[in-house]
Amino acid sequence: MTRDEAKNLLLLYRSEADLADPQIAEAVTLAQASPDLRRWFEEHCARQKALREKIRQIPVPAGLKEQIIYEQAAQAKARAQREKITLVAAVAAIIVALAVLGVSGLPHRRPALANTLAHFQSAMISYATSSYGMDLATNDLQKIQNYLARHDAPADYHLPAPLEQMPATGCAIKDWFGAKVSMICFRTGKPLPPNTPGDLWLFVVERTAVKDAPDSGPPRISRINNVSVATWIQNGKLYLLGTPGDETAIRKFL
Amino acid sequence: MADSVDFEGLVARHYAGLYQFAFSLTRNESEACDLTQQTFCIWAAKGHQLRDVSKVKTWLFTTLHREFLASRRRQTRFPQVELDAAATELPAVSPADVNRLDTAQVLAALAQLDEIYQAPVALFYLQDCSYNEMVEILGVPLGTVKSRLARGLSKLHQLLADPQRRLPPP
Repeated sequence: MTRDEAKNLLLLYRSEADLADPQIAEAVTLAQASPDLRRWFEEHCARQKALREKIRQIPVPAGLKEQIIYEQAAQAKARAQREKITLVAAVAAIIVALAVLGVSGLPHRRPALANTLAHFQSAMISYATSSYGMDLATNDLQKIQNYLARHDAPADYHLPAPLEQMPATGCAIKDWFGAKVSMICFRTGKPLPPNTPGDLWLFVVERTAVKDAPDSGPPRISRINNVSVATWIQNGKLYLLGTPGDETAIRKFL
Repeated sequence: MADSVDFEGLVARHYAGLYQFAFSLTRNESEACDLTQQTFCIWAAKGHQLRDVSKVKTWLFTTLHREFLASRRRQTRFPQVELDAAATELPAVSPADVNRLDTAQVLAALAQLDEIYQAPVALFYLQDCSYNEMVEILGVPLGTVKSRLARGLSKLHQLLADPQRRLPPP
């Protein structure tokens, strides 16, 4: 091995671990035997050490670890949700197919979902009381409003003062006959089952999106299953607020 | 099997090293964050296919490097270079000179290296990867790793020795 060949190999030396490479080990042995080469090698090692320290000082952004873990958890949840939806859709498809096969000969058929206020109320509350997923999970009402605006969903809504005091948990965007419906989720503070993001839901949609919605009027209270629902019109928007419980449960948020 | 690897523990062990490697390649914080996150995302989807748990670190660095190359593929064609003797060209940059530089200046010099040298040099300084690990991460033979390293280190030292050739950090 010539002196220049040894230098080329010594360039690659970092620590004793590299002596496992027979070529590097031979070059190091050669350096130890030659004062001139040894001096060069010692200076090279000191330079490498200084460079290594500089490069290892690259600062890692605060919160990166948490962000990676959070994003992964969110994706896993979304995957599970998709799988669940796929399963439900498959079961639903089977049921529909069976129903079609079974009742196609009968004179009456179940009517399709109509664009009426009653169906809107029923569909939204049914969604809220099922195991739904939120598009954005946050306690920040401003972020919710910004998110909805960014996605062209109704965002210029006005929350009743008592509702504004409740802790938000996030939002989702639903579709109603081609119109976007903003769903804002809150918690009333009552104990909730695990994985239940909220128990107080506000839906906002353009009034004209629901065919028989009234033009105006005070909140009307109704009940769908065990959920109390308040429906009202304000500034051209239809509001629907629901929470489990009786009429008094919903009135305190209006 | 890699199924048994705890994701949070894995992130805690490797995210900083992966980020530093990504940053040394891109010199851009958000791009480095994205590459790091993407690497763990790919792990979450495909990591279970890895049979030898001891190779998790190599797998992660290999994946990050591939993602980096994929993101650059349309932008750069690797230049062909002669991998001849390198150490004989080394300028006299002393350890004291290096100590006077800050990390940004060293990274600025690293960024001026041809892309084929950047990854081996960054792995060399950052990770203490063995040469066999570098072979796996970079996907090139051992001889190529060594000659790229020798050439890359030589070029880096030349840049550090010459302040006029050393660009300021962006």
